Amino acid sequence: MNRLDAIRRIVPLLGDAAVVSNLGRNTYDLYEASDRPENFYMWGAMGSTSSVGLGIAMAQPARRVVVLDGDGSMLMSLGCLATVAAYRPANLILVVLDNETYETTGGQATHSGRCADLEAVARGAGLAHTATVTTVDDFAAALGRALRDPGPWFILAKVEQATSFARVPRRPIFIKDRFMAALGTTAG
Amino acid sequence: MAKTHAGPTETDPILHRWSTLVADVLLDHRVHMFGYVPDEVSGHLLRRLEAEPACTVVCCTREEEAVATVAGAYLGGKRGAVVLQTSGIGNSMNALGSFVVPYQIPMLLIVSERGGLGEFNPAQVPLGHAVPRVLDALGIQTFPLTPEAEIAPVLAGAAELAFATMMPVAVVLTTRLTGGKTLR
Ligand SMILES: Cc1ncc(C[n+]2csc(CCOP(=O)(O)OP(=O)(O)O)c2C)c(N)n1
Ligand SMILES: [Mg+2]
Repeated sequence: MNRLDAIRRIVPLLGDAAVVSNLGRNTYDLYEASDRPENFYMWGAMGSTSSVGLGIAMAQPARRVVVLDGDGSMLMSLGCLATVAAYRPANLILVVLDNETYETTGGQATHSGRCADLEAVARGAGLAHTATVTTVDDFAAALGRALRDPGPWFILAKVEQATSFARVPRRPIFIKDRFMAALGTTAG
Repeated sequence: MAKTHAGPTETDPILHRWSTLVADVLLDHRVHMFGYVPDEVSGHLLRRLEAEPACTVVCCTREEEAVATVAGAYLGGKRGAVVLQTSGIGNSMNALGSFVVPYQIPMLLIVSERGGLGEFNPAQVPLGHAVPRVLDALGIQTFPLTPEAEIAPVLAGAAELAFATMMPVAVVLTTRLTGGKTLR
């Protein structure tokens, strides 16, 4: 499946869910698909995206939180899967858009295309609700269920490398302020 | 949820006093989210915080994860702190330098000191000694929590500085304050 098609397909399902996107292509394609105030775009900190989602989910238990992580970035910090499994926030949905490459830095192969099955890693870490999907329809069905039923969820979505040329304004402080205003957490 | 280590200093009244002072200031400043990787010195503080109904205390596999989780909680409306030892600052650099600082996400870093007075392990010295300069290089200020009489004003000032100016701020639980590590 094509990543941009996949994200476009799930946008109408999101409602007011917070979405945290991994640095690079996931952020570009989420912006291209729909620039919502509930989107939080990461511009750095490879390997930290799912943990940011965990923190939001724990602080906002009444809101669904969807993380769009990358395979290379998830491989950089697999330990966070065990932390999510240990605390089990029911409103957290971890999606790994797995193109088996570090696409943002030129498409070098990751170990997920060679040997590492990230869904099996997530199960081994203690996550009970997991799925692997390879088509846009199956992705939408899995995400729809995860938005409805208690999690935490881990969805491994196999996507093709597909270059996105979206130009996303890199304004981290504006994005943070807009996101917190959308969640009503600015007073913090 | 996570069981912390009860070391031989557990019943030491001095340990009780500083960790109570620290916990009280944190609660006064509505710091309610904590991420940590276990450390002997901070164990008592963490158990105290875990007992507070308002607090969420998350045991992470790596300090960088704790920084990102506490940052996420701030976006979700909860003020937080990362409790870590000096070596954990080494494990946190990228989350601090390419996320927390450029996005101006405030938090406290409560660092238990290794590598200084009383240190016995050569592997703890270079990074422990470098921590204030490493943080300074990112624009993060560091304040030692010694002596005990200054815990409350220094920590309260650090919390004010962090959450009013949207920056991470570090405080150091010095070995002079805590007595350092006893398990060798
Ligand atoms: C700590 C760190 N190491 C390396 C990089 C360079 N880098 C930026 S994006 C990226 C690839 C991420 O791969 P993946 O998570 O699979 O996402 P994709 O690019 O495939 O969408 C890399 C290696 C970085 N930004 N930070
Ligand atoms: Mg990838």
